Amino acid sequence: MTRIACLVVPGAGEQTQQLLLELALAHSPSVEDGGPGIVYLDLRGLEGLFGGEKEIARRLLDAMTERGLAGRIGVAGSRAGSRFAARSGDGITIIPSGEDARRLGPAPLALLDLDPRMTTRFGRWGIRTLGELADLPSRGLAERLGDERSWLQRLARGEDTTPLRLWTPPPAFEESAECPWGVETLEPLADLAAGLAEILCARLSRHGYSADAFKWSCRLADRTMHEGGCAPAAPLSDPVAAAALVRSSLAAHPPRSAVEEITLRARPVRVATTQPRFDEPPRPSPRQLTATLARLTALVDAQGIGSPVILDTHRPDAHQMAPFTLPPSPLRGEGRVRGGPRSQGGPKSQGGPKASGSVLTMRRLRPPRPVEVALAAGIPAHLRAAGLTGPIVAGAGPWRISGDWWTDAPFARDEWDVELADGTLCRLTRDSRGWRLEAIYD
Amino acid sequence: MAISIESLPPPGWDGEGLDGLLAAFLPGRLSEIFGPRSSGGGSLLLALLSRATARGGLVALVDAADSLDPVTAERAGLDLRALLWVRCGGRPASAWSAMDLLARCTGFAAIALDLGGAANTAPPSLGTRLQRAAEGSGAAVIVRTPRHLLGGAAALVVSVRRVRTRWIGADGLTRLGGLVSEARVLRSRMDPRLATPERAWVMEWRA
Repeated sequence: MTRIACLVVPGAGEQTQQLLLELALAHSPSVEDGGPGIVYLDLRGLEGLFGGEKEIARRLLDAMTERGLAGRIGVAGSRAGSRFAARSGDGITIIPSGEDARRLGPAPLALLDLDPRMTTRFGRWGIRTLGELADLPSRGLAERLGDERSWLQRLARGEDTTPLRLWTPPPAFEESAECPWGVETLEPLADLAAGLAEILCARLSRHGYSADAFKWSCRLADRTMHEGGCAPAAPLSDPVAAAALVRSSLAAHPPRSAVEEITLRARPVRVATTQPRFDEPPRPSPRQLTATLARLTALVDAQGIGSPVILDTHRPDAHQMAPFTLPPSPLRGEGRVRGGPRSQGGPKSQGGPKASGSVLTMRRLRPPRPVEVALAAGIPAHLRAAGLTGPIVAGAGPWRISGDWWTDAPFARDEWDVELADGTLCRLTRDSRGWRLEAIYD
Repeated sequence: MAISIESLPPPGWDGEGLDGLLAAFLPGRLSEIFGPRSSGGGSLLLALLSRATARGGLVALVDAADSLDPVTAERAGLDLRALLWVRCGGRPASAWSAMDLLARCTGFAAIALDLGGAANTAPPSLGTRLQRAAEGSGAAVIVRTPRHLLGGAAALVVSVRRVRTRWIGADGLTRLGGLVSEARVLRSRMDPRLATPERAWVMEWRA
């Protein structure tokens, strides 16, 4: 006879849920993740190990308390019964075998996690509790709801024949290397890390996983930890590319003293293997892209490599860099929209309607360069800056822009578009700090 | 009082004309766009990248002067998610090296180096290396320079110059309307007919 225990921790987060699942798995091999704060475990066959249901429940509750989890436990012959028992009682509630239907009678229908349509339907019929649902004539119910829905009545009667959907912990991909003599230079340390990356990638491949992030931590001779991480542009399990990535990451953040132990962890992800479509543009292989980005990082600042993301503000040149990842192919209907779906309102605020292909672009000067501007009747007439000096032959402005006055960093300035005698088109700005050359049109 | 006047495109310009010029930048070939600042070369480069992303391709831009404006790039149709932006912070040597590295990475539809005004010379023989890398990776490799730097290595050399600036406003200028620029193909190994002296593309870039 099936006996199910339900562990309930109200308001459990992801971490608590993981803890709860691990705790349950330490007592029973059959564990189901019932959603946030709910875990079911099969108690069959555990008597020999832990004693009766009461002892097992007590043991589970003690283990939860030890880990700082305030929860309740219900034991019954079905998932719905055990959940109802856990919710209705305080601490441990056990429904004896064969009494699920009777005890579940006054429980509300919400215990069955019905979809809103079905809840409304039962509401129209005047059915509010599991007992009322259980008492309905089975044949009539099947005629109205169909066979697939009639299992709801069996659940309301405490008949739960569906086996638990077994939860298994995700495999941990972590490798360590000890070097008690202390590695003082970067090259042998990078070799060690690269070796660990290769071992990890071999394990990932065996389990059918790829890694979308690597984290390394070094125990230093001065008893402190030095940690860092890196993420490939696309999930990979290629040992050579992973080794190159970890090497460059270590080179970018070298430890400050000798390393006595290094640990490398990979975050596993499942990557569906799909065959490229015939009409699909070629894409870089994750291995080659990762290796290229790792080498680029050594050339330029890692912060300067990525994809731009326009921020949702009217502030000029407000953007940030996001790591470059292989976007889903638009030809597979996975939603890359022309014109940059990552933007967060920039064009709306600054650029107006989207054009296609014939837009005059500007080169921004970062930071904007201070310039001297001579005015004639309040209009810029001459510009003097390093490498850019001359009379202004045409111009439009000022256009005043301002914003963020509700923050600590408000901005307000006048913008001018001017044309110099040599044909250079540029944008000048004027604020409380004076004139600046913001951009050159090209 | 602001008066908005939308003028017609200048004679000789039409959408097909721009597409015809863009089509000359072939995959697997090194191309060079040169011209002074405000000549429309940067806009032409972004139009090329935008066309590549609109077809589902990935593009890379090595930005020597760190001058890309993401807002206007997006207005030009560039899918920012498909763009790998390498900002070199005004270090031309790093930009050339990054370009040399990226041009060998297969899978990009277009790989561009925008030198801005950051360099006046190219490393010796780098043009030949880039051409060979382009042949290997199959990407359209494009270099935008202030003046002709790549010698005979590029399969396509396009010169751009400013024709005129278009301002909006009848009674006093109120807004920059755009830039009319002209492109001439000085060399095209794949299609020499493009490089005839009398053939020019007049393009209007709208602000």
